[in-house]
Amino acid sequence: MPPGRLGNRIGQYVLVLWVALTLNFLLTRVAPGDPINYLLGDEVNALTPEQREQVLSQYGLDEPLLVQYGMYWVNVARFELGTSVRFGQPVADVLIDRLPWTLLLVGCATVLSTFIGITAGTIAAWKRGSARDTGLMVGILSLEAMPGFWIGMILISVFSVTLGLFPTYGAVSLVSLDGLAHVWDVARHLVLPVIAITLATSGSVFLLSRASMLTTLGEDYTTMAEAKGVSERGVVFRHALRNALLPVYTNFTLSLGTLVSGAVVIETVFAYPGLGRLIYEGVLARDYPLLQGAFLLVTVGVISANLLADLTYPLLDPRVRRPGANR
Amino acid sequence: MLRSGGLLGVGVALLIFAFGCGGGSGEADRLTIAVPQDVGPLNIFAQHEEPLTELVYDKLLAPSPYVEEPRPWLAESVERIDPETWEVTVRDGITWHDGEPFAAGDVKFTFEYFLEAPTGRWTHHISEVPHVEEVEIVDENTLRLSCAYPCPELGPVTLADLPILPQHIWEDVPGDRAATYNELPVGTGPYRLVEYSAERGYRFEANEDYFAGRPLVDELVMPIIEDTAATFTALRSGELDAAARNVPPELVPEFESSRAIALAETAPLQFDEIRINYEREPFDIPEFRQAFSLAVDRRELLDTVLLGQGRPGTQGYPHPDSPWTSPDNRQPYDPERARQILDGLGFVDRDGDGVRETPDGNPLEFTIKVAGTEPSQVRAAELVVKQLGEAGISMTVQTLDPGAMGELFTSRDFDTSLGTITAHGVADPTQFIMSHRSGYLWNLPEVPYPEMEALIEEWMQATTVEERTRISFEMQELFNSQPTSIVLYYPEERWAYRPDAHDGWVESPGYGIVHKWSFLPEEVGNEANAITERF
Repeated sequence: MPPGRLGNRIGQYVLVLWVALTLNFLLTRVAPGDPINYLLGDEVNALTPEQREQVLSQYGLDEPLLVQYGMYWVNVARFELGTSVRFGQPVADVLIDRLPWTLLLVGCATVLSTFIGITAGTIAAWKRGSARDTGLMVGILSLEAMPGFWIGMILISVFSVTLGLFPTYGAVSLVSLDGLAHVWDVARHLVLPVIAITLATSGSVFLLSRASMLTTLGEDYTTMAEAKGVSERGVVFRHALRNALLPVYTNFTLSLGTLVSGAVVIETVFAYPGLGRLIYEGVLARDYPLLQGAFLLVTVGVISANLLADLTYPLLDPRVRRPGANR
Repeated sequence: MLRSGGLLGVGVALLIFAFGCGGGSGEADRLTIAVPQDVGPLNIFAQHEEPLTELVYDKLLAPSPYVEEPRPWLAESVERIDPETWEVTVRDGITWHDGEPFAAGDVKFTFEYFLEAPTGRWTHHISEVPHVEEVEIVDENTLRLSCAYPCPELGPVTLADLPILPQHIWEDVPGDRAATYNELPVGTGPYRLVEYSAERGYRFEANEDYFAGRPLVDELVMPIIEDTAATFTALRSGELDAAARNVPPELVPEFESSRAIALAETAPLQFDEIRINYEREPFDIPEFRQAFSLAVDRRELLDTVLLGQGRPGTQGYPHPDSPWTSPDNRQPYDPERARQILDGLGFVDRDGDGVRETPDGNPLEFTIKVAGTEPSQVRAAELVVKQLGEAGISMTVQTLDPGAMGELFTSRDFDTSLGTITAHGVADPTQFIMSHRSGYLWNLPEVPYPEMEALIEEWMQATTVEERTRISFEMQELFNSQPTSIVLYYPEERWAYRPDAHDGWVESPGYGIVHKWSFLPEEVGNEANAITERF
C-alpha cells in the first residue's frame, strides 16, 4: 500500500476510534441506574441523602459530564482505566485476569469453527445437490439454530454428569497444579465449552464457504482448468477453493475482533471466568469504569481486526494490490 | 495477584480427587461449596457477602442483631454504664491471623475508621442510629463508648453487627482508599482467606488457634458459579459438596428423592415487598395506602408464586421472626373494606370503565416496576395487577433491568415497585428508624406525619431497650395501618448439600446454612446463641 494511502487509512481508523471511545463514555452514562445502588443494594436505605452524595463524589460521579469526559481522555491516554466499583480493583487488573481465558476459549472455537465451516462448505459445494450436501446443510444449520446454552447444558448432562468425562464448570481445578498437569487440567475444562461454541457458530462459515465455492466453481477459470485436464481434486482445492477463501478470510479476520468480547452465554453455563460474563455483570452493576475498560478493549479489538484485514487482504488478492485498483 | 500460600507441585492424584466422586468421610478435610457471586477479596468496604466476611472477621458480640440475646464474643463483657455510655472489655489472648495480638485499640480504631471510610452498610450504626460520639480507651483491654443521645441498643445491635478490623493493617490505608484496598483480609475469625482469584474463587484454611474452638473442616474451597442450573448440575455430578444458593422450587422434588443429596429448610429474614412512592398522589393519603394494602391477597400470591413455600405477608413489616418485631402487626387482606375506603375517599368509577377516578376525574392508573431478571417477582407483579384491578385500581407492570431498579430509590421515579428486602433492612430494630430518616419508608418534609414523628422523637429520648421496644411496636402498628411497604410473603429457603461430606450444617437467623457456625463445633454455636436448627 502506498504511504499516502496508508496514512489516510490510519487517519480514518483514528477518527473511528475517537467516535467509538466517545460513544463508549456516553453510553454508560445515558443508561439509567447508578453504581451506588448496586454497591449498597437494599442497604441504600441505610444512608441519608447527604451520605449518598458523599458516596457519589468519592467515585467522581457528581462532576459535570464534560469534566468527567476530560478526565476520561486523560486516563485513556495514560492507560489508567480507573478502579472497578464492583471489585475495588484496578480495571486493567480485572480485565487482564479474564482476558487470557476468553482468548483461549473463543480463539480455539473460532479456529475450529472456521476449519469445520470451510471443510464442510467446500464438500457441500463440490457435491452440490447430493445427499451429502443436503445432509451437511440440514445438520450444520440445525446445530446453529440451537441456542448455545442449551447445547452447553446437553453436553454437560451427557459428558460430565452421566459419563463423568469432563468437569462441569470452571477453567481450572480448585487446587493449583504445575506443568503438564496444569495444561491437561486447562484442556479438560476447555473441551466442552469449545465444542458448544463451535457447534453454535460453524453455520455461518459453512454457508459463506459454500456460497463462495459455488461462485468460483462456476467461473471461467474453473472450466478452463477442467478443460486442461486438471484432476477434480486439483480443480476444487487449487483453483476454486483458493479464490473462494477470500471472503471467508475477511470474515475470519473480522471475527478475531470479537474474540475479546467473549461468549457470555457459554461462559455463564460453564462458569468460565471470561470477559463476556464480566461485561454482563458490569452492565447489571452499572460499573462504569469496568464497562468503559471492557468496551475500550472490544473497540480496539474490532478496529485492529479491521485494520489487519485491510492490510493483509492485498497480500492475498493481487487485484487489490494493482495500481488503480483502489475502488 | 491476590494469591498466597497455595498447593504447589500436586499431581494427577489431586486432580482425580478434585473430580472424583466428591463425597468424603463424616469429618471433612475439605469442602467444596459454590458461591453465587464474585465479591472480590472480601474487602468489606467494596462489597460484602456477610456469611463469607464473617468466616474471616468476628464481632464484639455474636452472632448478629437478629437474635434476642447476642453473646459476648470478641468482647468478654459489655456493660451499660448510663443511658449514653457503654463499657466493653475485650477478651485477652486473641490473635489476628498474622499473629499480632488483638486489643481494645483495634476496636476503637474500627469505630473511627468506619466514619473515615466511604459511607456504607455499617456507617449508620455509628453515625446516626445510634450516634457514637467518642471511643475512649480505658486500659489495654477496656474501652468506653459514648453516644450523642441514649443508645440502649448499642450493645445488642451495633456491637453484634460491626466486624472488627485490625488496626495494624488498616491504619496504613487512607479512608478514601478503603474501597480499593486489595490485599487478602486479616481477621480473628475461624478461617483465613488464603487465595482468591476469578478463576478459582475462594480458598479458606482453618484458623487452628481460633479462640472459640478448632473449626471442624480444614479447608473450604468456594468456586464462583453464577448460574443456578450450572451450580446444581455440579452438585449432582459430585463436584460440589454444597451450594450457597437456594434451591429453586422446581428442583426440590428431585433433591428430596435423592439419596446422595439432602435439603435443609430455613426461614430467611427477608421478604418481597411492594414499595409505595408516598411522594406521589394519591399515595400520600394514609387511607388510600391502607385500601391499597387491603386489596392485596397475600395467600394467593404465596400459593401461586412460591408454590406455597413460605408464609403469606399478613404479619406485616418488619419481619415477624425478628425478636424486635411486634407480634400484633397485621397487613390483612379485606377487599370489601378496601372498596369501602376507596368509596369513602370519593374514588369511584364514574365512567363505568372498571377503573375508579379521583374526585378531580383522574383515573387511578399506576405502574408497578419490577426487575425483569427475577421471573418470580414478575409473576407476583402480574398477580398484584389482577388483584388491584378487582378493587378498581388499574396497574401496569413495567420490567426494568436490576441497575435501573436500583436507581428508583434515589430517582423516586416510580409509583410502586416490587423487590426483595433482606435482614439488615427488616430484622434490625434501628434500621426501622433509619428507614424513616433515609427516605426509604418515609422522610418527606412537605407531607407531615405527626404521629410517626412524635413516636420517633419519643423513641430517641427513651433510655431502655424495653421502653424503646414498646415504642417501636407502636410505630410498627402505625406503619402497618397505612403502610408504604406492602409485604407479599415471607419465603422459605432450601439448601442442598451432600451429607456424606459434612453433617454439621446449622441454621443461624438471617444467614441460611453456609456460615461459620456450620463449620464450628455445635457447642461453640450454642454458646454464641447462633443456632436455631441443626440438620
